[in-house]
Amino acid sequence: MEDMIFYDRLQFAFTITFHYIFPQLTMGLSLLIVFLKGKYLLSKIEKYNNAAKFLMKIFAINFTMGVVTGIPMEFQFGTNWAKFSELTGGIIGQTLAMEGMFSFFLESSFLALFIFGEKLMGQKLHFLTGFLVFLGSWASGWFILATNAWMQHPVGYEILENGKFVLENFGALFTNPWLLPAFLHNQMASVVTSSFVVASIGAFYILRNKQVEYGKLFLKVGVVFGLVSSILVAFPTGDWNAKNVAKYQPASFAAMEGIFETEEAGAEIVLVGQPNMVEKKLDNKIAVPNILSFLTHQDWDKQIPGMDQFKEEELPSNIPALYYSYHIMVGLGTIFIGVMVLALFLLWRKKLYSFKPLLWFIMFLVPFPYIANITGWYTAELGRQPYLVYGLLKTSDGISPTVSSGNTLFTLLGFVALYMLLGLLFLVLVGKTINQGPKPQTH
Amino acid sequence: MTETLISLLSILIGIVAANLTGAIYKKYSFGVIGNTIAGVFGSIFLIKSFGRLGFDPLSIMDNGMFHIFLFLVNCLVSILGGVLGVIVMKLISNKLNR
Repeated sequence: MEDMIFYDRLQFAFTITFHYIFPQLTMGLSLLIVFLKGKYLLSKIEKYNNAAKFLMKIFAINFTMGVVTGIPMEFQFGTNWAKFSELTGGIIGQTLAMEGMFSFFLESSFLALFIFGEKLMGQKLHFLTGFLVFLGSWASGWFILATNAWMQHPVGYEILENGKFVLENFGALFTNPWLLPAFLHNQMASVVTSSFVVASIGAFYILRNKQVEYGKLFLKVGVVFGLVSSILVAFPTGDWNAKNVAKYQPASFAAMEGIFETEEAGAEIVLVGQPNMVEKKLDNKIAVPNILSFLTHQDWDKQIPGMDQFKEEELPSNIPALYYSYHIMVGLGTIFIGVMVLALFLLWRKKLYSFKPLLWFIMFLVPFPYIANITGWYTAELGRQPYLVYGLLKTSDGISPTVSSGNTLFTLLGFVALYMLLGLLFLVLVGKTINQGPKPQTH
Repeated sequence: MTETLISLLSILIGIVAANLTGAIYKKYSFGVIGNTIAGVFGSIFLIKSFGRLGFDPLSIMDNGMFHIFLFLVNCLVSILGGVLGVIVMKLISNKLNR
């Protein structure tokens, strides 16, 4: 049984991690595309239009890969998590179906119109199609987050005698107090990723002395959006999210912050330390006293319950993984703010385009927003364990009881092989697009 | 669970078919990037629309038994999806940009 849960979770973790490489870029990139297209409408300067259309090509490749890797997710609900789907389908089926029906179709239809229909529609309608792609991709995030928010903090449901969850209040799914902060935090994080990607493309063009005009534009847009979103992802959205975890999942909060023992007054914030699960303490700890209490409750001396206040079964099942995921996310987020503050300062001083060390650094920093996003999701998902639906349905009760661990392992290996192929194809296509660069329009 | 792998294989077959179509009939080609996108959506569209006739991945792996005939039908439909994806997208694109 333990083996079955492990391999089912491993397969889901692998496929969702690979899948989330793509939507995290498309959601943020759509905002930048709307900005550039809007800037073109106002200024009539052609380079903004070319830049928007170029980024839409990258969007299209990512969107396509997102669709391909999203299909296994849909299948896995039935194959690996049949019991979970059977018990909660009446609730999560609503939001997942809405995601497909409203967001996906909105996004894909208008994406095609944006790519092919500029001449036919004229510039204002072309901008509108870009805006609708943005709306579709963000609505997609909203419905997925609504599903996840219900799993993190279930609301508006009733449990029948046969154990099935049914929806009692449809509106509650969308007014769930978990949803809005999680959505805003997630969307800002995706803007961080796309800003860093755009900035790195800009840095690449400048360093190669190729498409320099566009390189400067991408770098400038990337740095400005990158700084604003990096700050917003920390405050207020990250702060709001953390307060929700402290309120609704206090055991997870203690684990992710690494609080093994409850302090009498005022909890410290841990900057560095390694969880020692045998002695129930953090090794080599560097911490700042009372800060966590202040950040969480705006009270320096407010007590925050540590893991010693909870029963073993109430605590997340993998505390070190949760702790590290959270700290990697926060650490990287802090680095992003620092880099973008420096880049904006140099931009203001008109030195950014010629300051090569920073250009190289920005270019090679591009995998890290992806890592931060993914570890952020790991924090949310590991924090919810050992539950699928927090406090109500355990992960062990949600798997498909008749699927063997050998079967799951075999298909997992198949996924690894197929995703390697897809990953290579993705890199080739994106590399080719970036190498071509934004082509000037030929009217 | 092999169903999921089959669904991915269908898409990859669609991608290959679309790129081969583009390579053979240049007038329908969008280049590798466009052909790949057309292949993905073409194969998904046909399999999702007509798979319930009996060749969707779940039917192929009915009760854990692998039905090779249904799998071959699935592959053929994916190829068709990839080919039609490129051709239809090119026709639409030409109409829009006329």
